[in-house]
Amino acid sequence: MGAAFLITLREAFEAALLLGLVYTYLDKIHAREQFHWVTLGGVLGLVASVAMGVAVGFLSGPLLDLGPDLIGATVVFLAVILLTWHAWWMQQHSRGIRGQIEERIDRARTTQRLWIVGLIAFTGVFREGAETVVFLWGIMAEATSVAGWGSLLAGVAGVATAALLGWAIFHGGKSLSLPTFFTITTVLILFLAAGLFSTGLGRLQSLGVLPMMAPLWDTSWLLSDRSVVGSFLAGLVGYRARPSLIEVTGYIAYLVGAGYLVLGGALHPAPSARAAREPAASRSR
Amino acid sequence: MRYRGATAVALLIAWLALVPGPATPADAPPEITLTIENNRFTPEEIKVKAGVAFVLVVVNKDKAAEEFESKDLRIEKVIPGGKTIRLKVPALKAGSYSFVGEYHEKTAKGRIIAE
Repeated sequence: MGAAFLITLREAFEAALLLGLVYTYLDKIHAREQFHWVTLGGVLGLVASVAMGVAVGFLSGPLLDLGPDLIGATVVFLAVILLTWHAWWMQQHSRGIRGQIEERIDRARTTQRLWIVGLIAFTGVFREGAETVVFLWGIMAEATSVAGWGSLLAGVAGVATAALLGWAIFHGGKSLSLPTFFTITTVLILFLAAGLFSTGLGRLQSLGVLPMMAPLWDTSWLLSDRSVVGSFLAGLVGYRARPSLIEVTGYIAYLVGAGYLVLGGALHPAPSARAAREPAASRSR
Repeated sequence: MRYRGATAVALLIAWLALVPGPATPADAPPEITLTIENNRFTPEEIKVKAGVAFVLVVVNKDKAAEEFESKDLRIEKVIPGGKTIRLKVPALKAGSYSFVGEYHEKTAKGRIIAE
């Protein structure tokens, strides 16, 4: 019963975190009327998860062997690209524009294509969504006994707790100042995306696209990634107890590369920010 | 900013190019069957040859779904109840690789030993 709660909490944690962050982002830039993008993305992610959960029940053969893995790997890399893009935008708005807070908000609203945050919501929900659906479906099949129903309730409670966590982020984020919120979110997103990037590389290793290698180090004696803390750190910053060389270099390369891309302009903000802003402003929706 | 983006992409591509590609697969990789029944794996210990890719045929005889998960192998794969999945496992270096059934972690666990 406790296990079911932890499993769904763990699976839904990342989705709740991302949804909380993008809803807060829209609230911060006074674009609540754009909430529908996030809601739509989240709902579509849920629909896709259910569809995929049902599909794996019907599929068989090579389609079942490989299909979900390929979709999974694609979604991971798509999420990395979207998150990097979003972090880059936030930095442009928090740093480049030197005017009043209202001006920053105005810029953010007119220049960022806000459907991107909807796509972030979609990938966030869809990434672990299908697994959660299959899991809950499975315990529903077992739910003939009292213990079975208890597990189902615990599983649902896990998702609900994750949602509550997302709501807490939304609530807490509202009280932060705009630049503080943008900075914290940017750093959080960069670490999260770095973790996703190395997860994606690990998937490519297991698919045989990249070579398998022995772990570079083993910290499972200190913090196993199967433990509660370890698995949350895995979702948040991509912690691995036994990472491979490819995952470690990929993680660092992403952090350095994306960090340079997103935060590097802080050294000479004026010219680069203006250059990036003007072509973007002319494309505004 | 454009140039910086291009530099980052170029670095990424250069890095990916440095990583060697997959080895050419053997004609017919050996198959090993792993059965899930009553939320347990049989056998719980699988011995394979190091350096030889193989196919793990996971048969789920239970009604409930199980997720074959191995952090060591970077595999996370849901097997719906009553289904069979063929997992291609790349050639492994000698060592022990643990796996669990994530949905029934207390009982469903095992390891692959490559030697």
